[in-house]
Amino acid sequence: MKNIIKQIIFIVTISFFMASCHDDLDQNPIDPDSFTEQDVFANTIEAKSALAKLYASLALTGQNGGDDGAADIPDINQGFSQFTRMLFNLNELTTDHAVVGWGDPGLPDLHGQYWSAGNDFTGAMYLRLAQEVSFCNAFIKNASALTDPEAQSFIAEARFLRAYAYYNLIDLYANVPLVQEITTDLPSQSSRGELFNFVESELLDVQNLLLESNEYGRVDKVAAWALLSRLYLNAEVWTGTERFTDCVTFSNNVMNSSYEINTTDANANGTAYDELFLADNNTNGAEKEFIFLLSFDGVQSTTYGGTTFLVHGATGGSMDPTELGINGGWGGYRTTKALVEKFDANPGDQRAMFYTDGQNLEIESIPPFSQGYAITKFKNIDSNGDQGNDTSGEFVDTDIPLIRLAEIYLNYAEATLKGGAGGDLGIALNKINELRERAFGDTSGNISASDLDEDFILDERSRELYWEGQRRTDLVRYNYFTTSDYTWPFKGNQPNGTSVSSFRNIFPIPTNTISTNPNLQQNLGY
Amino acid sequence: MKTTFNSLLFILFFLPTIIIAQNTITGTVTEQSSSLPLPGVNVVVKGTNQGTATDFDGKYQLNASTGDVLEFSYVGYITKEVIYTSQTNINVTLSEDASQLDEVVIIGYGSVKKEDLTGSVDLVTSEDFNKGPVVSAQQLITGKIAGVSVTSGSGAPGDGQEIRIRGNGSLELNSNPLIVVDGIPLDGGGVGGSRNPLNLINPNDIESMTVLKDASATSIYGSRAANGVIMITTKKGKDSEFKFNINSSTTVHTPIDYVDVLTANEFRNVVNNHPGGDATTLSLLGNANTDWQDEIYTTAYGQDHSISALGAAFGIPMRLSVGYSSHDGILKRDNFSRTTASLNLSPSLFDDHLKIELNARGNYTENFFGNRGAIGSANTYDPTQPVYDATSPFGGYFSWIDSSTGLQPSLAGTNPVALLDLVDDKAEVRRLITNAKFNYKLHFFPDITATVNVGIDKSNSHGRTITSASIPTSDASWNGSRFTYKNESLNKLFDAYLTYNKSFNDVHNLNVVVGHSYQSFEYDNFNYDSEAEEDGNDFEFIDKSKNVLLSYFGRLNYDFNSKYLLTATLRADASSKLNANDRWGYFPSLALAWNMHKENFLKDSNVLNELKLRVGYGEVGNVNGLGDYLFLTRYTRSQSSANYQFGNTFYQTYRPDPLNENLRWEIGNTINIGMDYSMLNRRVSGSVNVYQKQTKDLIANASIDPFTNFGSRIQKNIGDMENRGIELALNVIPVKTDNFEWSINYNIAFNDNEITNLPFDQETGGISGGVGNNAQLNTEGQSPYSFYVFQQVYDNNGKPIEGAFVDRNGDNVINDSDKYIYKDPYADVIMGLNTNLTYKKWDLSIVTRANIGNYAYNNVASSNSYLNGIIPTTNNFLWNIHSDYLNTGFVSQSDERNFLSSHFVQEASFFKVDNITLGYTLDKAIKDTTLRFYGSVQNVATITDYDGLDPEITGGIDNGFYPRPRSFVMGVNIDF
Repeated sequence: MKNIIKQIIFIVTISFFMASCHDDLDQNPIDPDSFTEQDVFANTIEAKSALAKLYASLALTGQNGGDDGAADIPDINQGFSQFTRMLFNLNELTTDHAVVGWGDPGLPDLHGQYWSAGNDFTGAMYLRLAQEVSFCNAFIKNASALTDPEAQSFIAEARFLRAYAYYNLIDLYANVPLVQEITTDLPSQSSRGELFNFVESELLDVQNLLLESNEYGRVDKVAAWALLSRLYLNAEVWTGTERFTDCVTFSNNVMNSSYEINTTDANANGTAYDELFLADNNTNGAEKEFIFLLSFDGVQSTTYGGTTFLVHGATGGSMDPTELGINGGWGGYRTTKALVEKFDANPGDQRAMFYTDGQNLEIESIPPFSQGYAITKFKNIDSNGDQGNDTSGEFVDTDIPLIRLAEIYLNYAEATLKGGAGGDLGIALNKINELRERAFGDTSGNISASDLDEDFILDERSRELYWEGQRRTDLVRYNYFTTSDYTWPFKGNQPNGTSVSSFRNIFPIPTNTISTNPNLQQNLGY
Repeated sequence: MKTTFNSLLFILFFLPTIIIAQNTITGTVTEQSSSLPLPGVNVVVKGTNQGTATDFDGKYQLNASTGDVLEFSYVGYITKEVIYTSQTNINVTLSEDASQLDEVVIIGYGSVKKEDLTGSVDLVTSEDFNKGPVVSAQQLITGKIAGVSVTSGSGAPGDGQEIRIRGNGSLELNSNPLIVVDGIPLDGGGVGGSRNPLNLINPNDIESMTVLKDASATSIYGSRAANGVIMITTKKGKDSEFKFNINSSTTVHTPIDYVDVLTANEFRNVVNNHPGGDATTLSLLGNANTDWQDEIYTTAYGQDHSISALGAAFGIPMRLSVGYSSHDGILKRDNFSRTTASLNLSPSLFDDHLKIELNARGNYTENFFGNRGAIGSANTYDPTQPVYDATSPFGGYFSWIDSSTGLQPSLAGTNPVALLDLVDDKAEVRRLITNAKFNYKLHFFPDITATVNVGIDKSNSHGRTITSASIPTSDASWNGSRFTYKNESLNKLFDAYLTYNKSFNDVHNLNVVVGHSYQSFEYDNFNYDSEAEEDGNDFEFIDKSKNVLLSYFGRLNYDFNSKYLLTATLRADASSKLNANDRWGYFPSLALAWNMHKENFLKDSNVLNELKLRVGYGEVGNVNGLGDYLFLTRYTRSQSSANYQFGNTFYQTYRPDPLNENLRWEIGNTINIGMDYSMLNRRVSGSVNVYQKQTKDLIANASIDPFTNFGSRIQKNIGDMENRGIELALNVIPVKTDNFEWSINYNIAFNDNEITNLPFDQETGGISGGVGNNAQLNTEGQSPYSFYVFQQVYDNNGKPIEGAFVDRNGDNVINDSDKYIYKDPYADVIMGLNTNLTYKKWDLSIVTRANIGNYAYNNVASSNSYLNGIIPTTNNFLWNIHSDYLNTGFVSQSDERNFLSSHFVQEASFFKVDNITLGYTLDKAIKDTTLRFYGSVQNVATITDYDGLDPEITGGIDNGFYPRPRSFVMGVNIDF
């Protein structure tokens, strides 16, 4: 009897022990940096940090600064994966605006226009934009549970950012899936027209939901109008139907808003243009011109993309890095004579920020930094000449305008010339001259009505907006990007430039994505 | 037991039964080595139950008939047989049978006689261990066991080792075998600052290491044993008077070879003739002749001491040992020092019904890590510059200066000696493993033993990297930096199981084990960054995680008269890393064995001692190395250097991380067919194994459609992998006389590792050279980590033509589509050949190994053998380049396809003489004391065609490798 009791006690104790062990199988993260959905969307204050990620996802590359890890996109080097850096590589490096001497696999393919479907750079941009869409979708869904009005404007901003991501997807990849919620079901592709309609309807919707004006770094309703202006300008390329009238309408809305061209020459060098690209372009007056921007800081918002990339990457040869506010150049990017020659007619145009000492105008071979003029447009010094916040000279403070008022002036002029109703050529001419006065510091560069034609606008866009991520879109719109109508040094990998197949007007969908989703078809030609 | 039985025989002898005409034989049985009489030896007439035993003087008396065979047997001695042909006096000497001493093998949750093993199990005892300087336990078995490859990570003392049993079992998850010490599975991951978790154990404390290779042997350990198990059993106390052992040795480590880079004069020559150089470039050359590698490496010294006491105190058997090791690395300032202490008590209570084992093992290690950055820097620093320069603004060390900043140019290399001297990287690691194991043979049911094993493995480390303010830098605001970390980990184990042992009719033997196991793993890491603090950023980072494993297991061992053996196990495992629906995995295994030598047709064979055939199949699940919470929705907060500004405020951001709700166990199954044999009086023995190991539901970092999750990649169960191979082990003792014994051990293993299913290709194997380049690919149909490169075109003289690659798809463009799979880093054949000679008091052992068919990617040459690599775009400093330039004449390093040329994937097959040890034993000089003096050379010679520094590189990418030294050891081992 005693033995049996002993046995029973033995078994019972063991069972109790084991039952408590079973509960231990349900573990939740104990790391103080890890949060659940409930934590993040508990209230508007926490949700604002989730909103901040929607912007930071375009500006930075991960949850740790620089390239320290916690990267958003593991498929490519963290520094390479930043949105504006990739936008530069896909929209500027592929054109007459830039060449680079670095040999990272796939990078030389960009200027030479011979990239393959597996190209890392073309692929990573797709991943970045799709991830942004996913982040926005999750935010929109989760924040809808919050009731206060501030949350409603957050949601409107998230919808704007999603529309902006799709705008880029339409421009770069054409036929991508249209996804408005998080699901593990494999999506199907939509056509460019369907995506265009989605972006258009979203922006028309949120223009009334976004705030009249917003704190620095966040978008307001003017941003929706500005993006619509761009969308309609390119409508013919993307949908086959021109929408220049709508372009004129929304460009007008923007031009009549409180945004203005910066005319404050804070560093007194004769033009107010360069202030747009200095380390204090969030306070020196430039901020009045920036409709949609990404902000950076050398200490608290650090990345190896953004302006850190633009300043370091374009500095080399005999350039003095301290004059640009950094600790040294990476010696990569320069420009071709095609851009330089656009300024030949008017030597007083101070938008021509070329460094020529030790640089050849002609490019005989791409790798050496001395081939091609260098560009000093972006700098990490402020209007007083002081270096940005990072005392080690590594990370750059300068913010990047994704859409600024100057572009809208040019959109207005082009749409009016191309037949957009409601547009006034006189106003267009005035606006262009406003830009040129800012560039020259006086009226010596002003043009007359007879100078204003479509090709002039294209060249003026080049002079005003070079290296800001627009060139390829403009060349495609004018049908110059792949054709022989307009060639530049090493276009198509030939020294004097040659045409390439027109399928290269858009980029390939990443091969890994195609192989994981059988619903997708690769773009023609790849 | 046996003596009682024999006494019974003795009594029976007196019973009058059938009396056959018999004669009386007498004689004495003595022990061979000491010539002393052996009492208690069984003397039996073979085939009958007539027998006797020797008395205290070794004398016996027995009746037998002509033609009878007299069998003399005694535990621990080789049985001798003598045919009686009418001698009146037969004296016999018996000699020790070493093989009987390893009769019992420790396996999971129990032990088994070697002949009753059904799985593929290899046992190495302290006698067979590699001799010589052994800092860490794995070195004891290097080259000894077929199919087990042990590769040190580098030449740094105490550095980690990669152990692979039968190839890679996994892509993403851990491919390391499970290491179990006295029943406690060790946590594979070391804490930060420790070089190798096995450093915990003083090799002198190890009694034996059992390697379990196939699933039927490992399945009882379940999920963590997917890649095999190495069980370490430490020496325990004995119920005897105290025995002591002291082991003391000193070592000299010497560098063997350096990477081939241009010498100062070769460099001057190349720079003077450089087409891209101008007057500024030439002015940068210096007047010195510095061999930078010589400046950073040096002869180093080490010592090892340990003392142990083994015996019984107050009736409790115990063993206490204390050890101290300190080794300098050949890289200057590198040092590893370790103090270990271990205590085990194994009291036995209630008339042996309750056996308790208490083990405590502690370790305190101090590491000073010599700056590994100096190795890469020494390969590229200008040899015409001096080490020191009194005019330098950086602590008197020569440095390049950028004239516009007055500081080091931002892309220039840093003086290697400055890197060594001005960076202090130290860590202290403390670890304690203790366990208490209770074996209770139930009083009311003695066939059942209940065992409870409770253990804790706790470690903490504290380290700091302090960089001096005077180190050469391009940062004008630099004032030194301090980076500290504290890592703590705590693992708990609770095992409870019941063992049932019963024999039926003396013929059917049953052993059943049923049990439960609980393990939890928790780590808590803290990092501090002074640079971030100065910047006003987040400077303290906490990283914590926990996971839990729960299992139920059962094993049945049945044998019929030790002839036909069967083992069946079933295991149910659950891990907290998987979601509740997929959490439980069920893994069975079955093994059968046939001891053929016990069959009648082989029993009397004079040639064959043992012949066992085995076949086994088993499944094991694996999640070891998988993230702890991947199936849950998690948001990660940004660090303050990745905040985002709205208005005037910087906000932290929350990012949702990709997740996979459907993660499941990765399942490995193995089929193993083997044969163990031993013949000619155990002079020839060995085993043969043929196996196929498949991994299903392989977890890999898979691409996903980026519109369906929060990123482009997530761990998924998505592939299959296979390892197939053959292992042969052969032990031969060609000579065995009283004075001279010679044994040879040869093992050879063929392994073919292939990814059998992977829906997408995965680039891996990051290399230096450019940014983000990868030289390897995981793809279906190939070995994992195969090299994926461009096919180099060579001219008629065999010299590579720069930039010329084979256009494999014929599209006139050389891009990604022209890369191909070319070789892999894994050897097709691994061999070990070891020999031991003993002549009187001398002993000599030689350990050699060979790997055949492995390739390595020479990243030192691939990243740095280009003429244009010498002059940077800023033209204010110079880089040295690798001597491969003199062979290839490569010019352009901006064409990064050159880095991925097949020219740099080189054959790295090798033959190494790992160790030669010579010893002399003095056992009569001092009473009751045995002294052994020994001298040893480690890493004696390497024969290989590989151009790089060392053909044995884990992972296959040779870059910045800390070279392995040649070590000379002299020591003494005292037993008293």
